[in-house]
Amino acid sequence: MADQLTFVIENLPNLLFGFPGQRPGGLTLSVLLAMFAVGLGFVIANLIGNGAESRWRSLRWLCLLYVEVFRGIPLLLLLLLIYQVAGGLRFSQGLTPRGAALIALTLYSAAYQAEIVRAGLRSVPVELVESARTMGSNPWHAHRRVKLRYAVRVMLPAFTGQAISLFKDTSVVIILGVAELMTVARVTLGSDVTNAPYWVSLYMAVGLLYFTVAFSLSRLARRWERRTQRGDLVHSLANY
Amino acid sequence: MSGWLTGETIDLLARGVGYTVMLTVITSVLSLAIGILMGTFRLSSSKPLRTLGTVYVEIHRNIPALVLIIFWAFAVPNLFPPEARAAIFFNNPLMERLSNLTGLPLAYYGLAVILALTLNTSAYLAELFRAGVGTIASEHTEAARSLGASAGVAYWKIVLPQGVRAAFPAISTRLIHNMKNTSLAAFVSVPELFQGTQTAITRTFRAVELLLLAAVIYLTLSLIFSALLRWIEQRLDRRPKRTTSIQRAGVAHG
Repeated sequence: MADQLTFVIENLPNLLFGFPGQRPGGLTLSVLLAMFAVGLGFVIANLIGNGAESRWRSLRWLCLLYVEVFRGIPLLLLLLLIYQVAGGLRFSQGLTPRGAALIALTLYSAAYQAEIVRAGLRSVPVELVESARTMGSNPWHAHRRVKLRYAVRVMLPAFTGQAISLFKDTSVVIILGVAELMTVARVTLGSDVTNAPYWVSLYMAVGLLYFTVAFSLSRLARRWERRTQRGDLVHSLANY
Repeated sequence: MSGWLTGETIDLLARGVGYTVMLTVITSVLSLAIGILMGTFRLSSSKPLRTLGTVYVEIHRNIPALVLIIFWAFAVPNLFPPEARAAIFFNNPLMERLSNLTGLPLAYYGLAVILALTLNTSAYLAELFRAGVGTIASEHTEAARSLGASAGVAYWKIVLPQGVRAAFPAISTRLIHNMKNTSLAAFVSVPELFQGTQTAITRTFRAVELLLLAAVIYLTLSLIFSALLRWIEQRLDRRPKRTTSIQRAGVAHG
């Protein structure tokens, strides 16, 4: 038991920050990948989500197609596909696995977030926009200042859920050999037979690290949600 | 068809689709049953059961499915010394029978994937089910109780079916996610669709074509699966066929 613990503690810096010379890696890289993918995905998701509610049918169809395709195939497949397709193009010969992973995670996350944006926009009572229009604001203004602002409140809990989910999904980028937490764990154990007794304790440590980040994020998000919804005049009036 | 889509490739992919469908069906059914059970635990009035439900849900929801799969498939057998490991997990009559039944060379890995995916998905379903039950007005239970139903009957006959029905759209989404998650079985050498595609790639070196083909197959599978789930949802929503005399008289129809 004691040597199990020593093994985990010895490798903890690698699990947290990656192997020396490959830093940032490990859990840090998992978090970074998730943060950038969710952030960049958010920008794309807003374009796609708003496009899916657009007046022009072809744009609407294109955006819906994007969502259906990227939500319909496993992330694992998407990662390999992006790496192979983008790696084969002439301008991206230098595409690293890390870059490919970030692109795939971003496109994947964007599809899920776009669906949240769409649902949020749909939840806005039409009276809210209409009253803004009768008060004299132009369509763009009404869309941005009234519709989006209301929709964001509905979307927030779903967004945090998506972000946490994407953080856990980064474990899959092990298929490209990106040195995040799962890859560090696999390389640490290697094919060394003498490491066999440590498998359970090391993967328990890995699970615990994922759990700690995901669980505390979800608790934080919940508390934050409660605080923003309490004493929020716009929200309570609109729900009245 | 050009050279890469050979009979061998088609065989690999078809076999892969078979295992993907098999894993999806088994884990969906098990997750639904265990998810409802754990959701019920979380709603229970007994504190130990509630704690058990909460711990189960939080652990399996906050750890990635891939970690669970590797843990149960690779880490757990490594707890045992080599001879014992082989005897318990691989070379015994039960595993041999399972191998013959499923065609998997190492049946334990298939079982580990089923276990891990079920733990993961059922934790999500338990939460969705609990939220679904939350939307059922307490008057329903009270009405059943005042008509003489026991608390258990009121729950199983009145609250639970309505909870499942209310949560079903969200449950469907999660089950489709679970279908895509079966691709993680490739990491523990279960020859499902993704693993089959990878094998085909190493034989033909046509990565992009095969990956695109696999993407199309996965899309088709998820479309079929979601159509199936929508059909089930509609059946759940349907009112009982037998009409009462009042309904037949047209009074009950608003």
